[in-house]
Amino acid sequence: MTDPQTFNRVRALLLFIAGATGVGMLVGNAQQAPLSLSTVLQVLVGWSFVGCGLFLWSRRRANRLGQLMIIVGMLWLFGRTLTLVPNPVVYTAGLWLTDLWAPAFALFLLSFPTGRLTSRADLAIVGIFLFVTVPLEFIWFLFLVLDNGLNALGIAPNESAAHVIDTIQRYLISLGSVLLVIAIGRRWLRSSGPVRRQMTPVLVGAVAILLQSASWIFLSSGTRLEPLDNLIFLAQIAIPIAVLFVMLQSRMARAGVADLVVELGQTPTPARLRDALANALGDPTLQVAYWDASQDRFVDAAGMTLDLTEIGAGQAVTMLERDGVREAAIVHDAILLDDPGLMAAVASAMRLAVENDRLTAMVQEQLQEVRASRARIVEAGDLERRRVERDLHDGAQQRLVLLSLELQVARRALGDAGDPAVRRSLDRAAEEALAALAELRDLALGIHPLILTESGLGEAVESLADRTSVDVSVDVGSERYSPAVEGAAYFVISEALANVTKYAKASKARVRVRGLDDHLSIEIEDDGVGGADPRSGSGLRGLADRLAVLDGTMTIVSPPGGGTRISAQIPTIQPTAAPV
Amino acid sequence: MSTILIIDDDPRFRTQARDLLEADGFSVIGEAVDGASGLEAVAALRPDFVLLDIGLPDVEGFEVARNLAIDGPPPLVVLTSSRDARAYGRRLTNGHTLGFIPKERISGAAIRALVEGG
Repeated sequence: MTDPQTFNRVRALLLFIAGATGVGMLVGNAQQAPLSLSTVLQVLVGWSFVGCGLFLWSRRRANRLGQLMIIVGMLWLFGRTLTLVPNPVVYTAGLWLTDLWAPAFALFLLSFPTGRLTSRADLAIVGIFLFVTVPLEFIWFLFLVLDNGLNALGIAPNESAAHVIDTIQRYLISLGSVLLVIAIGRRWLRSSGPVRRQMTPVLVGAVAILLQSASWIFLSSGTRLEPLDNLIFLAQIAIPIAVLFVMLQSRMARAGVADLVVELGQTPTPARLRDALANALGDPTLQVAYWDASQDRFVDAAGMTLDLTEIGAGQAVTMLERDGVREAAIVHDAILLDDPGLMAAVASAMRLAVENDRLTAMVQEQLQEVRASRARIVEAGDLERRRVERDLHDGAQQRLVLLSLELQVARRALGDAGDPAVRRSLDRAAEEALAALAELRDLALGIHPLILTESGLGEAVESLADRTSVDVSVDVGSERYSPAVEGAAYFVISEALANVTKYAKASKARVRVRGLDDHLSIEIEDDGVGGADPRSGSGLRGLADRLAVLDGTMTIVSPPGGGTRISAQIPTIQPTAAPV
Repeated sequence: MSTILIIDDDPRFRTQARDLLEADGFSVIGEAVDGASGLEAVAALRPDFVLLDIGLPDVEGFEVARNLAIDGPPPLVVLTSSRDARAYGRRLTNGHTLGFIPKERISGAAIRALVEGG
């Protein structure tokens, strides 16, 4: 019945039959006596089952519950309508159908919400109802004596035999009803949250049938307790509506999935993931199993092996795979399989979370690598600067010193003797050597200030201040920090003071360095013209990069005409101490 | 005539310094190539002055100056280096030495200027 048109025709036909039968029942009853509330309610019970069943069937084609509800409703209506016809065959069929309603109803209750029976106990209960209403019913009919004489099967009329069988039937039905209530009650107690809410109308139905069968036992045949009956009818009208409601309400559970997605977005711990899933699905017994590919097994969050072939009765497993590769599994109440869309949504959310975890971990790892390599580059640069400074000192600088001294020795040796031109030439050569030496030292100092590594930031900054043409007041402690921190601080101050000299037209400047709990705070102020732009390629830009390696920051306030104030913060506790 | 001991690991510098200082009226009574032998030489020779290189192979000149100050009447120590004073900052003014002269400025006059200035 995949063709939608045929499907719709069948549904329309069933709707018509149910409607007509119900109307027939009303009319038939009205002809015999004034229409009672009880009759109206009974018609409504039938219509409720058929109507809701048809609706559910159209919404959940794969679910047999809708069809079961239609059958329950039809049996109810047919049985009660056919007994209005004074024809033995029709009347007998009507009576029988009326009783056959009971196993159908039990089946409906027990197979909620999938429309299928899941355990042998359930099957046994339905079996009891069927046993009572098929073989026992048949035997009962054989003996039954009806006042109106409409028993088509009454071939051996025997009132006492019929009574015995009737009594057995009532007790068995009562037993079945008790078992039914127990089975559904247990299921109701075992579940929680949305699933328990879904189970509630079914439990009410089970209690209703128990009350009904109990009333058959305790009230002698023929006696009717109309208010109780009417109450039961009302419940039976409500049950299909409630079932329909909860079946279509698995949207509620899907809203739970929305919460789940939010929860998973925060990359929860495995324990919180399990709780989030259990909450979203209303299944406190839910377990998450992670696939351990190395040992070909599922493990729980604690790493213990989980054997998914040994899951409990009424539980089901939903596998999570990516690109055909197993990742995890959810062990959950089988009842959740009723809504495949729900489990699919949950599985998607989990997959997203797992993927999100994987990508986050990957990005984190790459970020760590990049940070480490950046730190290594800076560190390598610093080492290289030291090496170059030492090479200059050991090499060119030494030779220039020796050259300079040798020229002086020669000049001394010459004294006032010799060619005056040669004497002048020697003097000039000595001056040139001294000048070259001075330039070389400036260069070496710029490459790496030995004083910084030897004596620390305070002395290095004092030395910088001495070399700055404007008046610089220095307020730097004598504490030592890591070479990277000292280097960064030194170069920030050096660059800032160089800018003061070059651009600021300042009369004085101030350098202040404060060692705070977890960072070094650096401030360089001048009273110059301001307007320094860190983006204009003034070396300050490179400093920001250098600081970033240490998670340091730098701000420049330089209003035109208002002086320049550069402040930098460098963490002194390096949480991501980069391996070199 | 003031006596002076030269402690430096570079023989070319020692020769040049000896030439320049002797030309300026100092008597160079000894040379040493490192801190350890320098200390021995000072103990043995008791010079008036020591021309002490900061960058010795075994120990920094600062350390040698500190040790010299500990035992006996110390000689006047003149620190020198092929780096200039900016590389050392306040370490040059630690009380144990007469002062600092960059190597290319070494002369008897420069040392006497330190004595008069100190």
